[in-house]
Amino acid sequence: MRVRTGLAAVLLAAASALVPLAAHADDQQVTVWSWFVSSTMQKSIAAFEKANPGIKVKYTYYNYSPEYITALKAAAASGSLPDVIGLQPGSLTQQYRPELEALNERAAKQWGAGWQDAVFPVNKKQMLMGNPAGDTNYYILPQESQDLVIWYNTKVFDKLGLKPPKTYDDLVAAAKALSKGGLIPMFQGAADGWQNENVFLMLANQRAPGLVEKAQKGEAKWTAPELLQAMNDWRALFTDGVFQQGALGAHAYPTGAQLFAQGRVGMMALGSWWMQESKFPPPLSQYMQNMDGFDFFYMPALKGSDHASPPVGGIDIGYGLTKTGGKNPAAWTFLASLTNGEALQEALNDLNDLPAFKGHEPKGEITAHVKAMYDRFMADLPQAENQRFAVPAVADALDSALAGVAAGSVKPEDGLASVQAATDKALHP
Amino acid sequence: MSGTLTARSLGPAALPRRRGRHGGAIAYLFLLPAVALFIGFVAYPILWVVDESLVRQGRDGGRVFAGLANYAAVLRDPVFWIVMRNMALWAAITIPVQMLLGGLIAWFIERHTFRFRGFFRTMFFLPVVTSVSVVSLVWVQIYAPYYGIAQVYLQALGITLTDSPLGSPALAIYALIVVNIWQWTGFSMLMYVAGIANLPSEVLDAARIDGARGLKLARSVVVPMLAPVTRSLLLLGIIGTLQTFPIVQLMTGGGPDHASEVFGTDIFRQSFVLGDTGAGATLSVIVLGLAFVLTLAQIVLLGSRLGGRRRTA
Repeated sequence: MRVRTGLAAVLLAAASALVPLAAHADDQQVTVWSWFVSSTMQKSIAAFEKANPGIKVKYTYYNYSPEYITALKAAAASGSLPDVIGLQPGSLTQQYRPELEALNERAAKQWGAGWQDAVFPVNKKQMLMGNPAGDTNYYILPQESQDLVIWYNTKVFDKLGLKPPKTYDDLVAAAKALSKGGLIPMFQGAADGWQNENVFLMLANQRAPGLVEKAQKGEAKWTAPELLQAMNDWRALFTDGVFQQGALGAHAYPTGAQLFAQGRVGMMALGSWWMQESKFPPPLSQYMQNMDGFDFFYMPALKGSDHASPPVGGIDIGYGLTKTGGKNPAAWTFLASLTNGEALQEALNDLNDLPAFKGHEPKGEITAHVKAMYDRFMADLPQAENQRFAVPAVADALDSALAGVAAGSVKPEDGLASVQAATDKALHP
Repeated sequence: MSGTLTARSLGPAALPRRRGRHGGAIAYLFLLPAVALFIGFVAYPILWVVDESLVRQGRDGGRVFAGLANYAAVLRDPVFWIVMRNMALWAAITIPVQMLLGGLIAWFIERHTFRFRGFFRTMFFLPVVTSVSVVSLVWVQIYAPYYGIAQVYLQALGITLTDSPLGSPALAIYALIVVNIWQWTGFSMLMYVAGIANLPSEVLDAARIDGARGLKLARSVVVPMLAPVTRSLLLLGIIGTLQTFPIVQLMTGGGPDHASEVFGTDIFRQSFVLGDTGAGATLSVIVLGLAFVLTLAQIVLLGSRLGGRRRTA
């Protein structure tokens, strides 16, 4: 009798445990992987689930490298990719193109035939980057944009009587004044290839807008005089004391960003994403609070040039719908919301990031200073030059060349020749 | 050691046997889980990697048999030879230095400390159990010029670091080796502590009575008696060298300009950053082959010389 009672109790407990599951049995589930800030993504998901009852989103966060790219590779090999994956345009998207759905028809159905007009031109270009000739399908939908600039500490500049530099000589003079004041002039995490690429793209696009993009497509040579000039400009940033000593062994994150936020650095080449830092949980430094201590400028006019660098940027992060996600209608619903709907709005509110689609901006408490900088970024974004590389081997060769030239172990012309060789190999294997 | 009692010396008849008619088959069944795990997690991945090293991606994205083309391409790549040089340097410096420092620290702790023995063992072992991420972050800060940790102390001596060794193509690999030695010396120490604790005191006493002291005692008695530990450390050191990855990836990413590239970072770069699975797999097979050859060579060449005492029936 006791056994029977016990068995009944166990069955009852099991049944009651199953009740909540049964109540949600009709829920559609969407699985998402990305390196996007987890707390922000959870807010986006909450906004989406509120607007779409009956769909539950399960988000898995990874650090980008090595965890995320390793997890993607393993999942693709074993056929276990989630419904939606975070992507960067160009090489990462191309690597997983066979696993991704073309999004053109879904997007047209969702937002109308001219939906691409709402995407910033540079983003639209990057969405197709690396596609085989004739393939006009979009395999990635951008969520956020970025614009590469040089941030500077306004309070430190004011204290030292410095103005945002207009010319290269101004930049060198500001760097010297900052160094004399016991500060790091411009922090360069030159151990990170991405930060070196960003600065080089600023230099190269000032010397010849769009030439790097042509060179990576094989329509121009990396050894062109303008790019050689840009490589010499790059070397000069080290030898003229604009970058800190020992830059080649330094990382932008966390070291550089922390020192910059603490007011120990005068300038740093980062992107519009730096505005995120003011939204992070307290305590924040006096400089970081509402971005009170920061503003930005574009790379000043280099020697022999009469204008600053143009905006360079594009997609910060985008998302793709996997073949598995293609069979799950809820996955597209979430992807649409995340890139151009309520989930995106929540992300913008939380981070002050730039959208990839026009017509969005952060809502809530934003200071006039942040709003003014945000508006400047949004005004510049339509003119931005491309920041991304379609072929990873070309980016890798450029990273090596930049490091070698910076260290003085590689001549600028030899470095560019090696990038040209990598490009030739990639385009004509 | 003629006095060693082994199962072999007792002879097969002495072993208890309780095999029934199907005893043999059942015994093999017990092996199945281990064999299945070995096939699933060791043999299959190895075969998969070997297979990947023999194919390349076709223009349509499909797999095309490439024969040994991936091997030829890897061997032609100058980065591969930088990796080989770095691996040789890594093994040649870290293994003996870690052994020497670990052995000296162990001897000091076991023979010259009494009240704080546990404290010293823990302190020297602490870096081994510290996360590589933390170690890397701290050492990047130590090496940093102007704003670095080392600079704070060097400033007192009037020395200003003007560059980080991690940013120098000529010094980066040595800077990483120093960090690796700092982190892993505690492991060598622990192995020697175990070895020293097991030294028979009567042998040491006898040697002392015979007049062996200091270096002579160490060279003629202690070092030979610790040979099995040394041999294990050598084996583990070579395997550890070939497996080096996180510390390099986190501190230099193999840079600047591939100057500190090791097998781990190069395989990762080829497979996951450049998306060239064929090259990554080829490098992996080469590492596997090297590990096999080096381990075999150690067993054949050093087995008897470092073994000290051989078990005899």
